[in-house]
Amino acid sequence: MAGIFDRIIGKLKDYRHPGYFRKPDHKWTMVVDLDMCNGCEACVVACYAENNLPTVGKVDCSKSRAFSWLRIERYVEGEYPNVKVKFIPIMCQHCSKAPCEIGCPVYATYHNQDGLNVQVYNRCVGTFTCATYCPYDVRRFNWFTYKRDKPLDEQLNPDVTVREMGVMEKCSFCIQRIRYAKDRAKDEGRPVKDGEVKPACVQSCPTGALTFGDLLDPDSRVSKMVNDPRGYKLLSELNTDPSVVYLRRVVEGSSGGHGHE
Amino acid sequence: MNNITRKCREINEDLLSIMTKTGPGYYVLVAVCGILAITLFWLPWAYQIYYGQGVTGLNMPVPWGAYLVNFVFWVGIAHAGTLISAMLYITHTPWRRAIARGAETMTLFALILVTLSVFVHMGRPWNFYWNFPYPNTRQLWPSFQSPLMFDVFAIGTYFTSSVVFLYFGMIPDFASLKHSSTGWRKDLYTALSLGWTGTDREWHVQGRATMFFSSFIMPLVVSVHSIVSWDFALSIVPGYNKTVFAPYFVTGALLSGFAGVIVMLTVMRRAYPVLKKYVTEYHYDRIGQMVLALSLVWSYCTLMEVLTGIYADTSLEKEHLIYKILTSPSMELFALMIFCNTFIPLVLIWRRVRKSAALMFLVSLFVLLGMWLERFLIIPNSLSRKFLPYFWHDYHMSWVEVSITFGAILGFITLFMISIKIFPILSAFEVKEDVGLPVSKEDDHG
Amino acid sequence: MDKAVLGVFGYADVMINAAKKVKEAGYSVSMLSPVPLVHEIEHEMGKRFDFLRFFTLFGGLGGFFGGTVFALGTAVLYIMPRGGRPIFAATPTLIISYESTILAGVLFTMLGFLMLCRLPYFKKKVFEEKIAIDHFGLVIEGVSAERFLSIEKMLTENGASEVRWVEKSTC
Repeated sequence: MAGIFDRIIGKLKDYRHPGYFRKPDHKWTMVVDLDMCNGCEACVVACYAENNLPTVGKVDCSKSRAFSWLRIERYVEGEYPNVKVKFIPIMCQHCSKAPCEIGCPVYATYHNQDGLNVQVYNRCVGTFTCATYCPYDVRRFNWFTYKRDKPLDEQLNPDVTVREMGVMEKCSFCIQRIRYAKDRAKDEGRPVKDGEVKPACVQSCPTGALTFGDLLDPDSRVSKMVNDPRGYKLLSELNTDPSVVYLRRVVEGSSGGHGHE
Repeated sequence: MNNITRKCREINEDLLSIMTKTGPGYYVLVAVCGILAITLFWLPWAYQIYYGQGVTGLNMPVPWGAYLVNFVFWVGIAHAGTLISAMLYITHTPWRRAIARGAETMTLFALILVTLSVFVHMGRPWNFYWNFPYPNTRQLWPSFQSPLMFDVFAIGTYFTSSVVFLYFGMIPDFASLKHSSTGWRKDLYTALSLGWTGTDREWHVQGRATMFFSSFIMPLVVSVHSIVSWDFALSIVPGYNKTVFAPYFVTGALLSGFAGVIVMLTVMRRAYPVLKKYVTEYHYDRIGQMVLALSLVWSYCTLMEVLTGIYADTSLEKEHLIYKILTSPSMELFALMIFCNTFIPLVLIWRRVRKSAALMFLVSLFVLLGMWLERFLIIPNSLSRKFLPYFWHDYHMSWVEVSITFGAILGFITLFMISIKIFPILSAFEVKEDVGLPVSKEDDHG
Repeated sequence: MDKAVLGVFGYADVMINAAKKVKEAGYSVSMLSPVPLVHEIEHEMGKRFDFLRFFTLFGGLGGFFGGTVFALGTAVLYIMPRGGRPIFAATPTLIISYESTILAGVLFTMLGFLMLCRLPYFKKKVFEEKIAIDHFGLVIEGVSAERFLSIEKMLTENGASEVRWVEKSTC
């Protein structure tokens, strides 16, 4: 009797751990080396193609309804002749303490065992709470059911759903590719190798500014890169603990004391 | 038959005359309001459901817009009813009796509008029931840690409690009215009165129950609007993440609620002059004092909200305040809000103003406008200036949102107008209590 | 056959006075009034115990525990971490408990009110229309024909404007 009681108490104590999983399978992490990023937006295009993102047209774009899960933010410093343009790619940061997740009343967004902040389209009722709470503004909403003109409808990715209107969505770290890699590794009876999973943006980056990997694997490339002295996390003062690590750009004349943003 | 007995009879007759004597003006007004409510509310909503939320002015940094403003606004309107009937009951404030029933009815219909506003706001409103906690085939319970789930519970409890409390209070009136009414009314009231006769045992239990209901509903009123404020305050968005929000929202809700009650009473008094016997200058005077006091508290909270932002002196708070107070068009709206909610109610310092129904009506309209603006300045406006400047974007209401906002108001008026013909708008037995008991000793000077 | 006696009074104090007399004579009475006379009756006849508080207490406590178990239990049934918050969390659960306390409390109070008042009851009751508006009534149930006369006398002496020996009538 006492044994059962202890077990229940022990279990409840476990649940007190934030993000209860004794041992997550993975902790997928992306490292963005801003020093190598040239702002070509190939990642953005790749993301559109991979994840069946609709193009919304001029009018909706001007209303800030563009669908880019991944965007390159540009900041212009200075007056016209002496301008400095800074840019930074921003996608869902897959925060470990995600503000969006507590907002959702129907568990449409929660943290899965891979350390991903996932969005379950079928559960979403469209309360917009996640988008409101998100400090990075990376969530996108299906304002309409977007139609693709012929023959563009034939280039849809069969691994990814086409979302209907009224559903929130965001960068998934190309979860379909993670799923595929995990399945193959399982079939072959081995752990997922470092570099086996490549989200579309990582794959398409011509300069190799984006690196993707598992932080739980001590030998992975990202595990080594996150300790880079240039590393920082976006809006870290909010204590959201993002899974995306930016490596500061080294600019001539700058002391390196201040990052982007 | 002494004076008091005569008065009691008169109350019943007046109450029945409000319900049965219907002029053509009433039908015209109900028809116009009803048709307008359908065209302005339901048709645009159907259009929005068919095409998607894209027909609104919402965009990605600002996904909470006019619908959420309406939601908070109607929750606010709902608050006065239960405050008058519960808080003032517990504190034994006699002037509540004549106005409590009308205010409670307002609460009920405002809460219906609250629910509708939420559904209108949702991206997939046909799945609204996914928010409700019940064992379902999806094998999924809602997240009880979400502020929205708190809302579901708070509003659900509030709705249930006010329906129960309203109906409970009406039972003796139904029992009293069923004798004097005829036709379908008689059947309806007989069924609704549940066979109440007014024995001493029944009154005893009724009195105790009113006390218990009031004790439950009083903390509920406070909790509902604080929970609504936590939808915002529990996020980390600058302009939302404020500790002052719970008292600020509760004060604002009561302020707008009392303003709503004044508007309702004034219109009712104009439509049914018989009500002037029961809702007098005295009531206006008292509610006016209430509005004045709440307006001052509200002003203090607004000041503190701005002040804490300035004191924090972070870039986020600064940008938020600059956008809210120093940038057009929010600047003008902010000034208008302060004008409506702080300066206009100051005229209530004069008793003559408080006692004039027309002036009180005007002040209340200003307060209602100001309170709507307050929510507008908090909800979409804060989202326009979130964290990453690249993604700052303004929000403008589209015609759908404007239309649904006005349609909701008209729908509220329609529902209320229909209800005054079916349900007693005065709490007859409480007004009779006000008149006093027919007692033999007072017969001489009664 | 036993019937009920209904005395109609124009004044509350007269009615309460008569009720006291009848009660002293050993009959059980119930007083009908269009307005609550709770304080007046308690003043004359002493406090009544109120059972409703147990309904309310039960509802409140049940709601509190029900809500807590509901919120915590369903969270533990389906482990879905969100926002790095504990699954088994007290603070947000207390809000749910708070609301469910009120919800169950209100519903049980209503239930208690209906049960203690024996409502709904659509069968015939002893009643007179004016009692619903401005008169007061006094009902003595189960009175046989022999006793009726003595009660009638007692009531008229104590100020009843009308005394009737009635079958239960629809009200």
